[in-house]
Amino acid sequence: MIFQEGPAETLNYMILGYAVILGAMALFVISLIVRFRNLRKDVELLDELEKRPQR
Amino acid sequence: MEPMPRGLRMLNLVTGGLFVIALYMVFFYAPLEAVMGEVQRVFYFHVAAGWVGALAFLVAAVAGVIYLARGGKRWDRVGLASVEVGIVFTLINIVSGSIWARPIWNTWWTWDPRLVTATVMELIYIAYIMLRQGTEDPERRARFGAVYAIVGFLSVPLTFLSIRIWRTIHPVVIGSGDPTAEGTFDMSPRMLQAFMFSLLTFTFVYVTLLWHRLRLEVLAERVEQRKMSLTAPGA
Repeated sequence: MIFQEGPAETLNYMILGYAVILGAMALFVISLIVRFRNLRKDVELLDELEKRPQR
Repeated sequence: MEPMPRGLRMLNLVTGGLFVIALYMVFFYAPLEAVMGEVQRVFYFHVAAGWVGALAFLVAAVAGVIYLARGGKRWDRVGLASVEVGIVFTLINIVSGSIWARPIWNTWWTWDPRLVTATVMELIYIAYIMLRQGTEDPERRARFGAVYAIVGFLSVPLTFLSIRIWRTIHPVVIGSGDPTAEGTFDMSPRMLQAFMFSLLTFTFVYVTLLWHRLRLEVLAERVEQRKMSLTAPGA
């Protein structure tokens, strides 16, 4: 890069970099949401089971 | 499950707002770097993600010390939640660094001290999660986790100092580094402002995600307790 004129053409790498950064953060947030939903379903199921009359 | 606390809802909004401003500063406010071009913009979130990783592992170590000193399940939860967030952001740091390195170092990966220590640190904390999953007894799991988080934290200063101790091609942003390092650049005032704002934003992102992850853990424990009481003999 010693004799180059102007900045290097690296736009594609920047796009890839931010796609990875934002994508990974989004995936983590989605994983939190999915885990919350699954646990809420478990809570509903447990509520139903507890309401059932015991034999 | 209690509704989301007002504080957390406010924090979501503040963090979201800060994140949008940080993106604006990175892409429109900070100037184009004269040699590396657009890829240098990866630097702002790459370092901020590394900062969150280190902060998260520090919090886990402190939570481990408090757990061992005073006990209390909440500190075990803080340790686990913080490590999980730290693993995600350290991974972001490593992968985004690799993408930045490709056009600058002409390689995706090199056995440089910083890259190696950061990867070892990531693996140490992945092993923390595996250790917890392999321990049945909650008391033991919490105690092992606390000790592991404290000892594992040694990898964090080692990673930070690696580019200052050993000969490396990784640039040193804070403090003076080896002038022959590939990818070194002088930050203009606008670059520095965008960098500092990114660090602040990612600190907010960390606190927000930690809070959500803690709530998830509390809910998971409650569900587990109810399942145990339902399946217990005589229930």
